[in-house]
Amino acid sequence: MNEILRTVDLSMKFRTTMVLDHLNMAVPEHSVYAIVGPNGAGKTTTIKILMNARRATGGIAEVFGHDSRKLSPADFAEIGYVSENQQIPDWMTVKYLMNYLKPFYPTWDDARAEDLLRQFELPPDRKIKNLSHGMRMKVALASSLTYRPKLIVLDEPFTGLDALVRDELIEGVLECAEGSTILISSHDLSDVESFASHVGYLDGGRLQFSEEMTSLADRFREIEITPAISSQPRASWPGTWLNAEQSATVVRFVDSQFDQERTIAEVHRLFGNTERISVSPMPLRSIFVTLAKAGRKAK
Amino acid sequence: MRQALHIFKKDVRHLWFEIAVVILVVAAFTFTAARRAHWLSDPGTNRIGAWTLVMILLPLAWWALIARAIHDEALPGDSQFWITRPYSWKSLLAAKALLLLVFINLPMLLADIVILHAYELRPFGTEFPGLLWSQILLAIVYILPIAALSAVTSGFVQLVFAILAPSVVALGIAIASPNAVIGGFWGGSDWVKTYYVFLIIALAAPAILVWQYSARRTAPARFLAAVAAVLAVLGLALIPGSAAFKIQSWLSKRTVVASVPRVAFDSGSKWLTRAVVEKDGRVRIELPLNIAALPSGMAAKPEGFSVQLRAPDGTTWRADQVPLRYVSDMDQKFSLQFTLDDAFYGTVKNEPLTIHGSLYLTLFGGRQSARIPFGDRLVTVPRVGICSASGGSPERSDFLICTSAFRFPPVLVSYRFMQSANGAPDVSTSTQPRSISYSPFPAEAGINPVSQDFTFSSSPSSFSQALVDTIEPLAYIERNFTIDNLRLADYEVRPPRQLP
Repeated sequence: MNEILRTVDLSMKFRTTMVLDHLNMAVPEHSVYAIVGPNGAGKTTTIKILMNARRATGGIAEVFGHDSRKLSPADFAEIGYVSENQQIPDWMTVKYLMNYLKPFYPTWDDARAEDLLRQFELPPDRKIKNLSHGMRMKVALASSLTYRPKLIVLDEPFTGLDALVRDELIEGVLECAEGSTILISSHDLSDVESFASHVGYLDGGRLQFSEEMTSLADRFREIEITPAISSQPRASWPGTWLNAEQSATVVRFVDSQFDQERTIAEVHRLFGNTERISVSPMPLRSIFVTLAKAGRKAK
Repeated sequence: MRQALHIFKKDVRHLWFEIAVVILVVAAFTFTAARRAHWLSDPGTNRIGAWTLVMILLPLAWWALIARAIHDEALPGDSQFWITRPYSWKSLLAAKALLLLVFINLPMLLADIVILHAYELRPFGTEFPGLLWSQILLAIVYILPIAALSAVTSGFVQLVFAILAPSVVALGIAIASPNAVIGGFWGGSDWVKTYYVFLIIALAAPAILVWQYSARRTAPARFLAAVAAVLAVLGLALIPGSAAFKIQSWLSKRTVVASVPRVAFDSGSKWLTRAVVEKDGRVRIELPLNIAALPSGMAAKPEGFSVQLRAPDGTTWRADQVPLRYVSDMDQKFSLQFTLDDAFYGTVKNEPLTIHGSLYLTLFGGRQSARIPFGDRLVTVPRVGICSASGGSPERSDFLICTSAFRFPPVLVSYRFMQSANGAPDVSTSTQPRSISYSPFPAEAGINPVSQDFTFSSSPSSFSQALVDTIEPLAYIERNFTIDNLRLADYEVRPPRQLP
């Protein structure tokens, strides 16, 4: 599968703070890649470097196989970028913005523009500065989907939006994204859990993992065991067991490399016979929280 | 080009208010400037309040438009809408340049044409080079610096601070040490300093604009702007007058044989030599010189000098680039004045000193005269422009006014009123020529396209006409002189002691 976006050892340093630390990431074509992580993890910085809005202090960032610092107008004609903190020319009306942008894009589709304005219930003659935050995000999204971009980049698009608007935006993106690749960043996994095909977890400027959502869901399990004989608290745990807690009667942990046979064998090796072993699949949000907690403990 | 026009149209729509203000102020400027053409015969046409206001408002209106136009697609920052859209930087830059050309340069070009017509000067005749050059100066002085600063700032507040911060520093330095900021005044060659600054602006501002628009590297672009500002100030303060004079000498219209004219110590007026001990202890030296063997029809005007005093033991003291105001001249005799360090003077005043010096001279010639009859009739005066005179009756003062396009004329002009139109003129009054710029360029940096000079006489005599005399600078030369065995103590003058 071709990679639409790629970073190799991408680094960014603000004075003494390492915001990105040799980030290696690849976004496959036609995927919906969610880049998630806590606030300050480096998600926005990564996206801004990929969009040539900022310059990295080291490493390589590529979009469509081109160095992101040399993205041409022709490249940008195939990118739809929407960001929470993007400054849209708010003196324009919605209609004027759409008309203004039209000549920039050879693939601009008037019918689609009208559909999107209708779908998002955007008032064409209202100035953007008189719209709510949610409406502005809809304007930004509508103006970025109308030309059927090959790549849609959404940087924290749902921050500050109510659930209804968020769902409308997701719906709008998914309807228009056929054949596109989507890169979306969010600090809230529930935003992207329902539609992302891939996920990259960024923390402290490092990519902790990057994989398909299905395999991620498969390999994380929350495990609770009740040993047959109460055991002494353990000083150390296997490296793949995260956030392990032990009381006199119950042991709980998250296995980040779950494999039915191997994990059960490991439990028996450490605790002998058990009265009960409970294995529960985890929603992405719980995986994220587990990883965030484990990351903080490691620091 | 299509994208540039598209962005241009968007800017016109968005900035219509700023554009309207610029056009209104230019219209007001044109109206008030054109009406002033008749202020001599009708003083009511000189609305000085409106004129002053318009001269302040015009650059402010331009700067507001420039800043707003560039900040509409701000270059510093990472959140601007346009940077992730398929903008071509060349189209964006072209759109902004087009906006400034159409709404700043073009209106001013039209305003200049209208105003020159009102003064009956000929914008498409002799004044055409000035008309074009004034547009270039408008860009260099009023447009490019603000455009470059706008390109390295993200908004109006940042821009104001970018202008204010270095201005406050310069103000502080200017208060503490006046010459450190603008250097000495080099008389007619002072334009060299001005054009040095223009050159810095003309190189740095477009470089900053192209760099920012093509790469958006704000930090290096800001550094370049700071370097350009420092170079401009350093140049003003440090470029020696001799260098300016050297450049000026390349522009001589006539070559003068190296052996003539000669400058020497005026031994016949040796008594004019002075070593005046000032109250603060410093010593003002005055040296009389004369000039000999001037080519016929020429007059010499001193511009400045350098001098070096050497004692028999080899101790030396130098005064470099002493500017014009320290030279007084009387009919080809000059008195050079410079201030000596009191410690040096105390050490060497009884020693026979050797003084080496260089005097920078402008040689004038090619005298022309034009008669201007009274009656407010406009008369074209070659080298000057248009002149008119009024008076000729006991009830009215006699008045002569000359108007030039884009700059004061680069010739020495003097005015006289005469009682007799025929035969030998009975000169009743005359004026000393004003100091002029020897700049070879047809326009000076300024908003008003006309310069006016006038003189009047309130003499009870009844004059019949005025006369405008001009002589032009033909050559700029440097002449060295040496004075041997001068014992300063022999010429010492002490201030009178105050009685208790």
